[in-house]
Amino acid sequence: MIYLDNAATTMFKPQQVIDAVVSAMSSMGNASRGAHGSALQASRTVYDTRCKLAKLFGCKSPDHVIFTCNSTEALNIAITGAIPHGSHVISTDLEHNSVLRPLYRLEEEQNVKLSFVPADQQGRIDYDDFEKLITPETSAIVCTHASNLLGTMVDLVRVGQIAKKHGLLLIVDASQTAGAAPIDMEAMNIDILCFTGHKGLMGPQGTGGLCVRDGLTIRPFKVGGSGIQSYNKHQPVEFPSCLEAGTLNGHGIAGLSAALDYLNEVTVDAIAAKEHALMERFYKGVSAIEGVKVYGDFSQPRTAIVTLNIRDYDSAMVSDALSEDYGIATRAGAHCAPRLHQALGTTAQGAVRFSISWFNTEEEIDQAIRAIEELAQED
Amino acid sequence: MAESNIRWYILFANYEQGLHLLDLLRQDGIKARIAPAPRAIQGELSCGMSILLEPEHLEAARACIEKHNAPHHAIVPLEGQIKSKRDRYC
Repeated sequence: MIYLDNAATTMFKPQQVIDAVVSAMSSMGNASRGAHGSALQASRTVYDTRCKLAKLFGCKSPDHVIFTCNSTEALNIAITGAIPHGSHVISTDLEHNSVLRPLYRLEEEQNVKLSFVPADQQGRIDYDDFEKLITPETSAIVCTHASNLLGTMVDLVRVGQIAKKHGLLLIVDASQTAGAAPIDMEAMNIDILCFTGHKGLMGPQGTGGLCVRDGLTIRPFKVGGSGIQSYNKHQPVEFPSCLEAGTLNGHGIAGLSAALDYLNEVTVDAIAAKEHALMERFYKGVSAIEGVKVYGDFSQPRTAIVTLNIRDYDSAMVSDALSEDYGIATRAGAHCAPRLHQALGTTAQGAVRFSISWFNTEEEIDQAIRAIEELAQED
Repeated sequence: MAESNIRWYILFANYEQGLHLLDLLRQDGIKARIAPAPRAIQGELSCGMSILLEPEHLEAARACIEKHNAPHHAIVPLEGQIKSKRDRYC
């Protein structure tokens, strides 16, 4: 199989990630629960992983790295716990439903007003629109670092400057960029960075989290066992316990820790360069094929995604043919990105997304181009 | 719609319903496979999986659904747009 659905999850993981999970499955106790050897080993693994993530993302305090089971959970914690009731929030048309649905819920249940920076038909946004949409009630900007549909990257330094200038909270969805592009919370003025472990970081599914700027208070999304302060009726207020209730996914975090070591060895810059080169190769190959329409602006910074349609073919049928006839895994449909599909005019047809990872090869890319060439041929 | 190229898609509210029905169809020996749900017939569901049937298996599938009272959203015909080209390429 040629796996080109890495924006959904990176299916191929470094061997050391697999080994770390397997090893943890037979040796790991419960982190922050007890002081015997296996419990301490779990606590040490979790703590070390917080430190590695803090370093990777430029988060000042490792104890402000909170583990969740994915980006969606992290975004729910951030959006529901940090945005004041009745305030106004600015987001963008580039967002995934993991941002949109929590925001829509706040709109319905907590009288939060929403505005969206529009995307044009190439999936581009105008940064001046952020400032134009600010009102006296605006409390936060919630935006993605890169579109999961097109790969279009948002200039977070620029958005961070706007947020800082106007005293707004900046919550970032880094689902598509964590491990695939450099992120620096300080340089980008990010208050809360939400990430997943199983995509660019190449860790196990069921891992993810949020990094929180020092001094920020977030109302807990869930409360319960913390392994400490057991007679306190309330969730402990100290980070990270304030936002972590119940047993962590220790086995997954052990794998994520190994993935971060691997990432540190090969470097995010090297990964981004290779993925970008493969993406360019694919883009050049398919954009020249008659009957193929590629979406997005390839002159701007982006992640390694190429999204296209062939003639008027239903995107699901194209994706199905790629899978059944060529063994190529892609993603068709709406990609949980309804606002961007509306902006592109692809709600009826959907689109076929090819997303590339560190483990893809030039040969695989060339095979995918030949498959698209063949499917685009008219009978 | 050209009769010879019509395929039937069973749509679902979620993957669990779809995988459950696929198990039932297989138990009853009915040929079917999972496919992405085509955009053209998804309606308000949007995305997700479908079960793809060739026309000759449609009635047996309907009977299986009725026998097991299997949850599903709809059974919808759609003309196939792409003919398999595997032999020309691989």
